[in-house]
Amino acid sequence: MIFRAVEDSDLIRQAARGSVEAYNLLVSRWEKRVYNYLLRLTRNREDALDLTQDVFLKAYQNLKKLDDPARFAPWLYRIAHNEAYSLFRKRRPESDSEEVTPEATETGVSIAGTSVFPIELSLAVAAALDRLSHDQREAVVLKHYQGFKFEEMAEILGCPVSTVKSRLYTALELLKAELAPVKARGLS
Amino acid sequence: MSAPSCSPFDLKDYFYRELADPQQLQVETHIKVCPACREELDRLGQTEHALFALRDEEIPQRIGFVSDPVFEPSPWRRALASFWNSGPRLGFASAAMLSAALVVFALVRPAPAPVVRVAAAGAPPAVVTAPAVSEAAIQARIDAAVAKAVAPMEVRHEAEMRQVKADLEGARQRLILAAEEYDYNHKKEASAMISAGLYAPPQHGTGEIR
Repeated sequence: MIFRAVEDSDLIRQAARGSVEAYNLLVSRWEKRVYNYLLRLTRNREDALDLTQDVFLKAYQNLKKLDDPARFAPWLYRIAHNEAYSLFRKRRPESDSEEVTPEATETGVSIAGTSVFPIELSLAVAAALDRLSHDQREAVVLKHYQGFKFEEMAEILGCPVSTVKSRLYTALELLKAELAPVKARGLS
Repeated sequence: MSAPSCSPFDLKDYFYRELADPQQLQVETHIKVCPACREELDRLGQTEHALFALRDEEIPQRIGFVSDPVFEPSPWRRALASFWNSGPRLGFASAAMLSAALVVFALVRPAPAPVVRVAAAGAPPAVVTAPAVSEAAIQARIDAAVAKAVAPMEVRHEAEMRQVKADLEGARQRLILAAEEYDYNHKKEASAMISAGLYAPPQHGTGEIR
């Protein structure tokens, strides 16, 4: 059983009143999740770390604007989403933002072969995610890795639930086609 | 793309547990009797399982915000900031300062001097304000200042005069003694000359020194 002496909502209220200690505790609870969300969006550790720092700084500066502490997670991820897309626009303002080169460790994976080890599977997953569009990948990350509901995803992405579902289901079909055989061959 | 599902509700919605409870139950019931939907759910499960092979990474550097006293405003600055950011407080303080200024001005301000109207013939009436301090008072202040400045000089001068008088008196006494001695010697010499029959009395003055 996981017991938290202080709930996030209490920390948010304290932080909004200027308690840096409370905010640091809040950051420690969320930094890994936000970092991994941004890492899967940007596919670059340095960018993900820089963005994570920016996200928490902006969140701190705007914490008083958060009316409902229970909505902290979607609100925080909305900031992260905006920061990531701001970076994409800044990096490639004229070209297609999909053409971000991922880090070398996550590319060039062949899923051919008769047996797949866990490391190979993880590389295959990374490669399959790379082949998705930004929007599709973000939908997958928010749903599968971050566990958000459709309503929350729509709030984070700033689009209707129907759009969220469309992106996610399209991505899921692509991933299913690529990963299910690999999974079946290697680990089942 | 997957084949159209015969499930009463979207299988993916069921898979993601986004359906309401009754709908979720309906799909569950359907799956038990539909191998195609069961197979589709298995594939979705395998895909999700595969996705979990990509583990979360540890953040390479912990993020922390420092409550640095250097950057943190002092209590005085915080109070000042809250004061400046509060309209009512600012208004009240302004009114209080204005009242205080009026009171101080009323207490400190000198009494208005009498106004002397001088009406010259043919000239427009002019208003002349009499000086606040009278001539006598100014003179008295000057006299006092002069007396104060001169007093040490007078004391020194008197001391010098006393010294000069004493010196003169001493010189006079020495002259008297010298004159008496001269007179005695002269008389002695005259007596000797008288005795020798060579004395000739002087033709002018007595030679006495007073």
